[in-house]
Amino acid sequence: MDYSKQIQDIAAKLFTDGKIDVFVGYRMNGFDDNQVPAVITDPKEVSTLVFTEKSVFNLSNYLKADHTRNKRVGLVVKGCDSRSLNLLLTESQVKRDKLYIIGIACEGVVDDKGQKVQNCMECIIPDAVVYDEILGTPKGKKDYIVNADIKALAEKGLVERREYFEEIFENCIRCNACRNSCPLCYCTKCCIDQETATIYNGSNTSSSAFHALMTWSLHLAGRCVDCRNCEKACPSHLPLHLLHKQNEKVIFGNFQNHLAGVEEGDRGAFYKYSLKDPDDFIM
Amino acid sequence: MARVGVFVCFCGANIADFVDVPTVVEEAKKIREVKFAIDYKYMCSDPGQQMIRDAIVQHRLTSIVVAACSPRMHEKTFRKALSDAGMNPYLLEVANIREHSSWVHQKDKKAATEKAGDLVRMAVAKSIANEQLHEISVPVTKRALVIGGGIAGIQAALDIADARIPVTLVERSPSIGGRMAQLDETFPTLDCSQCILTPKMVDVASHPYIELIPYSEVIELNGYVGNYKAKIRKKASYVNFKTCTGCGACWQKCPVKVPNEYNCGIDTRKAIYTPFPQAVPNKPVIDAEHCTMLLKGKCGICAKVCEKGSIDYKMVDEVIEREIGAVVVATGYDLWDATPYEEYGVGRYKDIINSLEFERMVSANGPTGGVPVRPSDGKVPKTVVFIKCVGSRDKAKGIEFCSKICCMYTAKHAILLHHKVHDSRAYIFYMDIRAAGKGYEEFVNRAQVETGAVYLRGRVSKIYQKGDKLMVRGEDGQLGQEVEVEADLVVLATAVIPYKENPALARLLGISYDKYGYLSEAHPKLRPVETAKAGIFLAGCTQAPKDIPDTVAQASACAAKVCGLFAGDTMKKDPMISTVNNEFCSGCQNCVQVCPYQAIVTEEIPLGHGAKEMRTVAKINEGVCQGCGSCVAICRSMAITLAGFTDPQIINEIVAI
Repeated sequence: MDYSKQIQDIAAKLFTDGKIDVFVGYRMNGFDDNQVPAVITDPKEVSTLVFTEKSVFNLSNYLKADHTRNKRVGLVVKGCDSRSLNLLLTESQVKRDKLYIIGIACEGVVDDKGQKVQNCMECIIPDAVVYDEILGTPKGKKDYIVNADIKALAEKGLVERREYFEEIFENCIRCNACRNSCPLCYCTKCCIDQETATIYNGSNTSSSAFHALMTWSLHLAGRCVDCRNCEKACPSHLPLHLLHKQNEKVIFGNFQNHLAGVEEGDRGAFYKYSLKDPDDFIM
Repeated sequence: MARVGVFVCFCGANIADFVDVPTVVEEAKKIREVKFAIDYKYMCSDPGQQMIRDAIVQHRLTSIVVAACSPRMHEKTFRKALSDAGMNPYLLEVANIREHSSWVHQKDKKAATEKAGDLVRMAVAKSIANEQLHEISVPVTKRALVIGGGIAGIQAALDIADARIPVTLVERSPSIGGRMAQLDETFPTLDCSQCILTPKMVDVASHPYIELIPYSEVIELNGYVGNYKAKIRKKASYVNFKTCTGCGACWQKCPVKVPNEYNCGIDTRKAIYTPFPQAVPNKPVIDAEHCTMLLKGKCGICAKVCEKGSIDYKMVDEVIEREIGAVVVATGYDLWDATPYEEYGVGRYKDIINSLEFERMVSANGPTGGVPVRPSDGKVPKTVVFIKCVGSRDKAKGIEFCSKICCMYTAKHAILLHHKVHDSRAYIFYMDIRAAGKGYEEFVNRAQVETGAVYLRGRVSKIYQKGDKLMVRGEDGQLGQEVEVEADLVVLATAVIPYKENPALARLLGISYDKYGYLSEAHPKLRPVETAKAGIFLAGCTQAPKDIPDTVAQASACAAKVCGLFAGDTMKKDPMISTVNNEFCSGCQNCVQVCPYQAIVTEEIPLGHGAKEMRTVAKINEGVCQGCGSCVAICRSMAITLAGFTDPQIINEIVAI
């Protein structure tokens, strides 16, 4: 999977035609074979763009930053990235007519050791769902898999599960990198930063971390697209995906196989009401 | 420092029997901020309220907690008491220790008392964070919408319009009149239904304050009390009502015959028709389901014979909008289908009809010219069996409730039968005779004595055919023996059920309905015409089975309610509504999606101070917001606050338990 040349050509053409102000892609980090996001405003830098199976980050995160806000942006998205982009479109954070989207029919990305990462192994929708042009051959939708981690979690009792998460979250240093790296955490003022929200305000006590992360996971329930930007950003290497995958499983099972961001206009299970919604869990 | 006053009510024995009230007072006194606590037998009484007013002044209280019944009951009373003492009424908190404690924990006084203490602690904690709020004034649109043009809708519309308030009357069929227009004579005075109804129908059409929209349906209602917006779909009539004179040439020449709904399908009407000769408006409509021109594009006779050129086959449905302040729902009733009574042979024997079909036959303008006939051979019946409670009061096959009107109209039918066919005899099988009403018992006696109607107390077990007669086998409970009547005609008094689309209409209007489909009133005794949604009222059989006098009375009551609502130019509104903090709003618009009142819109504000770039934030229409709090719950960035239920208030409450 190497689309570097195609992307360089497309980006160059977009700049020449005056269709975009900024291009968001990937470039080499300069000291090993890993990549970093590249935000390019100078057409001369187009030649630095790359795209391989090492292009791990979800670039839709960069649409909420000041240097792209209200500008015309060219963007590279994989399957998962395009779903979060879809949610940003739905939730009125970006305007479709200001974007030029290069979709990738993704074959999965790899970690530092060259191993295919876990979320790509379980990926349900590898092809970009929203794009102006697509690179690669679309492979279509795959079956939903509940992975071993989540199955193990389900076997734990309620108290046990809470203890398990409390123990994990003790390592949280409340740096908020997970939130900042999440493309869907675009709030002007996050609830966990607010003065009135005393429950989150302990600087780095395990209880404040627990509440903050639980709230965060609920705010992403039915919206998380499993791109795992948060896990890549976490300096404490917390298995944050467990929270999101658990929510995803519950929502997929209860809300007519709902998957976040697949259709534009779909705000997610928690943000719409349908007569078909399950209510057997209500007393 | 907050100074809270706590007032605990005995509610006679309602609370005091199951909650130890003095203990609750002692518990309240232990709270640091509580500077005054007292109990009283009836806190809502005048001396009780005086205690609150005095304490506010004497103890310089900053907020008040009343531990009594549900705030739905007396919150307004106590708020007024606060106002009278010069305190902002929204500094009141009600701890509901009756419905939430004494009534539900009658078996355990200790636990109920503990819970009452907790509820008081929570209310005290919340009241400390209460803020002064002020009522909002919203303008009122002085126009009423009446849905349904039967006698209920007609009466409500006329009474409202007579108070010089404009009314829009929407009727689904081509003419107003409803079920009453189908009746012959009415109990207990036997005056002709048409004769008393038609003048009212004409009044509606000519009233300067009534806008009559026939052949149309309400399809959408948005907004809130005083400021509703209704969308009404005018079904295509294919006739230009402005030029049509109602001359009748079209329906005389129309070749298509369709069963006539007005006469319960006993005779036929044309595809272009007015429902009955006295129809208001007296203009025909084309039945698109049967007109050959509309179905196949062939015919066009009505257009040829129409001198005014009023026929327009290309007409389409039209949606019109009206701004209104109140709604009266008067959708009326249907008759229950008696098919489940298999032992009666319903549907198998032609000479079994329902009471409305009988009514049409004995009606002077009916399909048989006022003489009842057997549908099978057209002969005039001599022996007619009436069976009451078919479907009503029958848990097994029908419906549990009593349809209320059948006892009276069956007595009327016996009298009418006697008037039309002098040598006939009526046999009436009944369960009970329910003739409560002015002149009703006398009327039933008249049927029994004057016409010689035979009342047989018992159920019919079987009907079968013998020659051209129907053998009705039943029980005479008074003699305790089986009887068999050889009948020419059997008339079933089938149950009165609500209009079949009531549930859909209720959802559209946002009001509730019961398990049968009748629309629910706000309180069965004290608020019988209001619904739980402010500004929507009920008249007639849409709420429960009713006879004409009751229906007219309820319709006039609706009119009084509407006039009361429109008495001022503005309405006061509770200030407990949501507000958006623009600084925190990220513009995701999830609140717009979840708001059940369409109270949230978006607005563009500058990105930063003096910035040219704009960003989108949510904005709440304070007139429309009902304070339900859905937006508060959905907002991820906690940008929305609901006055009276702010985060500090709720957190205080939780921490206090």
